[in-house]
Amino acid sequence: MDSFLFGLIAGSFVSIGAYSVLIGDNPLSKFTEHLYTGILGGYIFATNWDYIRSNCVNNIAQGQIIYVVALALSLMLLSRLKPEWVWMSRYPVALTVGVGLGLAIRTTVMAEFLSQITATVLPLTNINNLVMVIGTVTATAYFIFRTEMKGAYEYVHKTGRVFLLAAFGVTYGQTVSFRFELVIGRLVDMLRPEVIWYTALMLVLVAAGLAYGYRTGKIKWYSGR
Amino acid sequence: MQIPIIITSVAGILMILEYFFPMPDAVTGFNVTLRSFVAIISAAALILGTVVLSIFHVRKVGERKSEWMYSIVYVVSFVATALLGLGSVRNEIFLWIYSNMTSPIGAALYSLTAFYITSAAYRVFRARNWSAGVLLVCSFIVLLMLIPIGAILLPPVVPIGSWLRNYPSGAGFRGMIIGTSLGVMGLGVRVFAGRQKEHLGIREEKVGEQ
Amino acid sequence: MSIVDKLLDMDQRIIYALMFIALAFPILFPVMLPMDIQDYSRQAFDFADGIQAGSIVIVEGGLTAATYPQGGPGLVAQIVHMLSNDVKLVFFSLGTEQNVWTATAIEAALDKLPAGVSAENGVDWVHLGYVPGQESGVAALANNIRSVLNVDYFGTPLNSITLMDGVNDATAFAAVLWWGGSEGSIPWGVRQFVTPFGIPMTGMCTTNEVPNYTPYINAGQLQGLIGGVRGSAEYEYLIKMPGPALGQAMATNFGGLLWAVLVILGNILYFVKRTQEGG
Repeated sequence: MDSFLFGLIAGSFVSIGAYSVLIGDNPLSKFTEHLYTGILGGYIFATNWDYIRSNCVNNIAQGQIIYVVALALSLMLLSRLKPEWVWMSRYPVALTVGVGLGLAIRTTVMAEFLSQITATVLPLTNINNLVMVIGTVTATAYFIFRTEMKGAYEYVHKTGRVFLLAAFGVTYGQTVSFRFELVIGRLVDMLRPEVIWYTALMLVLVAAGLAYGYRTGKIKWYSGR
Repeated sequence: MQIPIIITSVAGILMILEYFFPMPDAVTGFNVTLRSFVAIISAAALILGTVVLSIFHVRKVGERKSEWMYSIVYVVSFVATALLGLGSVRNEIFLWIYSNMTSPIGAALYSLTAFYITSAAYRVFRARNWSAGVLLVCSFIVLLMLIPIGAILLPPVVPIGSWLRNYPSGAGFRGMIIGTSLGVMGLGVRVFAGRQKEHLGIREEKVGEQ
Repeated sequence: MSIVDKLLDMDQRIIYALMFIALAFPILFPVMLPMDIQDYSRQAFDFADGIQAGSIVIVEGGLTAATYPQGGPGLVAQIVHMLSNDVKLVFFSLGTEQNVWTATAIEAALDKLPAGVSAENGVDWVHLGYVPGQESGVAALANNIRSVLNVDYFGTPLNSITLMDGVNDATAFAAVLWWGGSEGSIPWGVRQFVTPFGIPMTGMCTTNEVPNYTPYINAGQLQGLIGGVRGSAEYEYLIKMPGPALGQAMATNFGGLLWAVLVILGNILYFVKRTQEGG
């Protein structure tokens, strides 16, 4: 059996473990979740250390002494592990937030504020443009303004709400399809011809194990509501 | 306390000024260095996250808290994976474990929401009033538009759904984008002015307080 | 308890089981139906097809284990498309998980390339690897690549990679192809590549995020959008390279129908119960 097929079978087994949580919390699902977080934690640890080693430690070794500051700031972040030293972590956090916010704001003005407003300036010659202009203005007003809802503003507010509801409804429909695609993506690998019998066997074993656990009271049975 | 606030403000303002005005090379070079530092600090923050989680699980095992046996699974898998990766992130076993154990579990866990969303839709998604009705009708039309059989069973859903997505929904999201961009700009002004310090773990000052 | 109450209080595990069957059935017994090409997908394809031969394009690989089945086939198709058109590709990722899946997509694409298409690592494509810092990382990369990366994904120093000769910021790129998956990162690309440098960009996102980015398409900031598995299937169809995405797109049929039936049933039962209670 080659490593690719073995990988698919292993993946199928652990997926069944993860899906078993749908019946209710059980030892297999908890084992799978902890296995997942453990391996992922180790992976994140190793790859981020590799990044720091390649792009900071190596730079220092090559004579770019300024990166000592970056290393020091990174170590100061670890001070969060000890409550008395938490004050040290404020410096790298302050720098990160300042740079991040500055980078986001400087282009938000153009990309998301002015560009979107410019795109809304449309000739009111057809129903689509009318919908776009009215929808944008009323939805923005609904979002931002806190004026009392009286008189004409009440209609602005209600219209904005309709457009936002339409947006959320469309997003919900798209989200439902997206969630199905996630399951299909997993099932496609689990139900491949070369893997399906291993999947079926694992399902039978898990079902038998869980049934035994529920009958003997070793695993708590959750009601379906 | 003042120094971190000053660091935030100076770093942020330098980033903004560099974008809108010609700056001397020394300032541009300094900004490049700052951005490079932030990438390194971000990597360190992720390492910190994994360390904090590991300490939690080690303590759970040590103190024999409820379900401590599962924490052993965490610790063993974390240590094994980290050691393999620290050797080389291109190690074949390291990548195999990641691709064939973590990835499928992650995909399966993420996909659980499909079941919850369907169950919730059956129990809760009701056209109780006109607002819920708008939500229900729009989501219905768009979902039928997306599945190929929807276009065959009800051909009008395709042009209607496409129009809904482009125009009313597009207008709604545009309003949200404009609103949130104003919010981001307002937040930036508050943070750079030192009026908002939550990122440093300090609660916002009330008016009248020192 | 009346039949209406029993149905409304149904154990949700029954719904889960029905959903499993509805999603698994079309995978085991595929049903192919005709499918239109959506306008955003065609726009994204036409944009990519129009990129000049010899140009260098930057590709953000943001797919994870969960989203690779949906976006992976489309990304593979686009890589094949670009390399076949002699467009050079520079990949990067914003997460450690995404990093690996981008490499997986590149490998899958190289296997599918037609004979005679040049695809040498370092000459026709390069995978820069992981860039931490989210939007700050993107900004740093766009302004000075070597400020955040010294080596590529395989550990090769950037200064020894032929394709990276003279390439150190966004101005070297003719276009941006942002395969963001479910990262929610397309606005970062728009803010840090499109707006400051004027570089045109298309995106890929999961199906649920498509409405979020329609304003960017309408404003001309995005030149098309590939949405979820359907978008991937459409891209595969447009470059005439059949792949796994079409089967997956078809598999959503029964799940979607089941959801629709359950929502209608739930509403009918709700209104019947409300009528019975005199509401």
